[in-house]
Amino acid sequence: MLNRLFKLFLLFSAILSVKAQDCTYSIEGSVFDLGTHLPLSDVNIFVTETSNGCCTDERGLFSLYNLCEGEYHIVFSHIGCEPKKFHINLTQDTVLHIDLSHTISSLGIVHLDEQKTGHINQPSLSISKKTIEENLTKNLGGLIENETGVSLLKSGSSLSKPIVHGLFGNRLSIINNGIIQSGQQWGKDHAPEIDPLSSNRITIIKGANAIGYGGGNLGSVILMESKKIAHEPHLHGYVNYAFETNGRGNNLNIQLEKYTPKLAWRINGTLKKYGDKKTSDYYLRNTGVEEANFSIQLEKSWGERFFLNFYGSTFNTNLGVLRGAHIGNLTDLKRGLSRDVPFFTEEDFSYKINAPMQKVAHHLAKLDATYLINEDEELKFIIAAQQNNRKEFDIRRGGRSDLPMLSLLQNTLNTEVKYTRKMKNSWKLTLGNQNIISDNTNNPETKTSPLIPDYISFKGGLFGVASKKKGFLLINMGLRYDIENQNIVAIQNTIPRTSKRFRNNFHNLSAASSFKFDLSKNQSLLFNTGYATRNPGINELFSSGVHQGVSAIEDGDIHLKTEKAFKNTLEYKWVPSTKFSLSALAFHQSFENYIFLKPQNEMKLTIRGAFPYFKYEQTHARIYGFDFSSEITIRNSIQGIIRYSFLRGKDTSNNEPLISLPSNNLFTSLKYQFDRSINLFENVRAEEFEIDINNKTVFKQNNILSTQDYSPAPSTYNLLGLKVSSRLVFPNHYLNCFIKIENLFNTKYREYLNRHRYFADDIGLSATLGLNFKF
Amino acid sequence: MKTNKSLLASVALGALIFSSCEKDHAHVHNEHEVMTTLTFTLTAEGADTVALRFIDLDGEGGNEPTITGGTLKANTTYAGSIEILNESNPEDVEDVTLEILEEDEDHQFFFTSTVDGLTLTYTDQDADGKPIGQTNELKTGDAGSGTILVTLLHEPNKSGANVSTGDIANAGGETDIEVTFDVNVE
Repeated sequence: MLNRLFKLFLLFSAILSVKAQDCTYSIEGSVFDLGTHLPLSDVNIFVTETSNGCCTDERGLFSLYNLCEGEYHIVFSHIGCEPKKFHINLTQDTVLHIDLSHTISSLGIVHLDEQKTGHINQPSLSISKKTIEENLTKNLGGLIENETGVSLLKSGSSLSKPIVHGLFGNRLSIINNGIIQSGQQWGKDHAPEIDPLSSNRITIIKGANAIGYGGGNLGSVILMESKKIAHEPHLHGYVNYAFETNGRGNNLNIQLEKYTPKLAWRINGTLKKYGDKKTSDYYLRNTGVEEANFSIQLEKSWGERFFLNFYGSTFNTNLGVLRGAHIGNLTDLKRGLSRDVPFFTEEDFSYKINAPMQKVAHHLAKLDATYLINEDEELKFIIAAQQNNRKEFDIRRGGRSDLPMLSLLQNTLNTEVKYTRKMKNSWKLTLGNQNIISDNTNNPETKTSPLIPDYISFKGGLFGVASKKKGFLLINMGLRYDIENQNIVAIQNTIPRTSKRFRNNFHNLSAASSFKFDLSKNQSLLFNTGYATRNPGINELFSSGVHQGVSAIEDGDIHLKTEKAFKNTLEYKWVPSTKFSLSALAFHQSFENYIFLKPQNEMKLTIRGAFPYFKYEQTHARIYGFDFSSEITIRNSIQGIIRYSFLRGKDTSNNEPLISLPSNNLFTSLKYQFDRSINLFENVRAEEFEIDINNKTVFKQNNILSTQDYSPAPSTYNLLGLKVSSRLVFPNHYLNCFIKIENLFNTKYREYLNRHRYFADDIGLSATLGLNFKF
Repeated sequence: MKTNKSLLASVALGALIFSSCEKDHAHVHNEHEVMTTLTFTLTAEGADTVALRFIDLDGEGGNEPTITGGTLKANTTYAGSIEILNESNPEDVEDVTLEILEEDEDHQFFFTSTVDGLTLTYTDQDADGKPIGQTNELKTGDAGSGTILVTLLHEPNKSGANVSTGDIANAGGETDIEVTFDVNVE
């Protein structure tokens, strides 16, 4: 304990003084791994102001000499680590002790602030800012898709929804800076309206129930977090730019931040423009994307006890939908299926985005206040407003293509009060209340009957979580009660049309507990069990009519009951050193009243032909699987990663597989880092030169019946990737750059969970050049 | 104590909102683009006029449509004409045929028959000289029975191979209409 206190004291602190002369100062110190508390060797240390640097030895020690008096920014980086930047005002010889968060933390072993975020006892994994920045060409889904237990439900190349342990949409919550992301999450072709580049870390919790987040998730949660603004008096920031060949996409992301005792601020902006993507041999017409996002973060504190944060963000996108995937009826779908190249495919590349397309804007404004009542008690208030404006354009007759076919405006207000108390007997207690009001209106500009009705919903929840660490055991227990009221005005299918009011009330109880046993100093076992419920969504209750994208008539059922899920996870972790780690997670989730679209034994005849008929029904189901991941570092320069995910799902009442579940997949990566810098020109050298070869194998989804789909599941495919990255050091500054090639062999493939696989191949080879300038 | 109060206040706020929210009335308006009724009128000298009709007033889903077939005279040449209406609001019936003809380059009817000897040919043209099919000519052969399938495509590739002679295979586009009528030839 004393040892730990000592280290904590040294963390981020500079002490010791000997002499005071110009340019004769030194900085000495040591670097430790945050997860294992072992010294880290071969850590690169780089002084931005002098473009000089050094390395740590086997004991994690380093020294820098002949420094002048003044301010310095020092970057600590290590293979597989999130680089750490440190600011120092050098007036004397100094000793620094630095803890680096090694990749082991990406397995969820350690979080710097896990005590704060409270998801301490749930299986989770994190994606660092470095990874986010190196994937600035990707959306949220694309960023996380190579993690274990995570897959994507895609509608073409640019629309993707994350799937965690087989659940997506309304069954999965995305939390943006503490606020449940609102929007029309029920839609299979509605991607989350969020810019991952404004986050510093993305955490995926694969637990049984995230009691403190609510929002109807059935276990898993994706957290997007911005870190606190560093107490640094200078203006800092970065400029990221990337060009991607496939789609000829330009991506620009800029961040600026500054701390002053009065107010700390950070702004982040992103611009993207893509044209038609290309498969291995043809352009996908009308698949361009335009995006403009901005976020602002303000932090202010009064003394040591009262903190106020503001976060505002706006996300705006125009997305083209593959022209050849727009169909009118089942005959069109069958014609599409029989073709190798989709209808409307053109020879030439184009940036044009026409109907069918989506125009979506999402805005968030959040204020949170934290008051430390005393050493043991904390009170937190959050109020947030969100607006989601979604317009979807189809090919329409009579010049109406300029009118959206779907135009939904959603306004959401979130409030939260949370009280945390450390008890005398080492229990920690959190009590909270969360309310969400959501007002959904169909804009009549569409001149068509809406897909989902207008409604206002209110959700109120009370929760309590208690945790205690005793010896080798860490216990968490939580209980939550929610009430939901839906106030709906639905247009009825009468002649002429009329509207009718409905009022639904739901009560939900959920509970979770987790136990973590430290089997030895470097092995642990985490058991997590939880019961969660989800009320039927508005689309499941009230859909009626043709679902264009899949050529089916889908009818909701207003008598659907609450879906109940019971999930257990067991995770084993072994981290014998900073050079090796292993994590194995098994999970099982059983559902009562699982809501799904059941094909009916009849076709519905319409003026557009006969359509297969589906109804939302409920059944008993289960989903189970396991995630495995391991990382090994050899001789401090080679890093190997292996990740495997296995998942199965079954409709237990009807004794048949559940459809639209991810297939098993294997991800491997081998990274080599040169330990010496390379002199390119007289004043330019390349440091941390790294080559990364990775491969993703997605196995064929064999766990479906031929009667469950229009076409058989696509075959197993392999995608090979290559990335070369380095830091170019100029006198007085440096530039990080990378070249990345995805689908290196230009493999022709189709993905089971891409809804456009009926019509077109998936994306072919793509090369990206990225530049990152930090100051 | 302070904490309890703030939690309580938060819950009370929730309860207040909970009891007070009521959604405004939904906008019920005339739906555009809806097609409820298709009438394929066939006239010939010396033969009764035949009207093949498809009616589905409540639109897609809901109640089943009413489909009326017809009996044609053998070895006769009929002049065919198609009319499409939106009758979803009986007070305000819309003639969709006009809308289709306004965008005739973007529309084409296709006909497929299972009746032996029955053929359909185009008698109209768009501005580019390509067929539309809203008016057409139907020739019957000897007596028999079967079906006629009428398809209307939106944004077909009218220059595709054999599309202008009525072959749908290379037309692309989206199906706006696809209805089948039972016919007898006597």
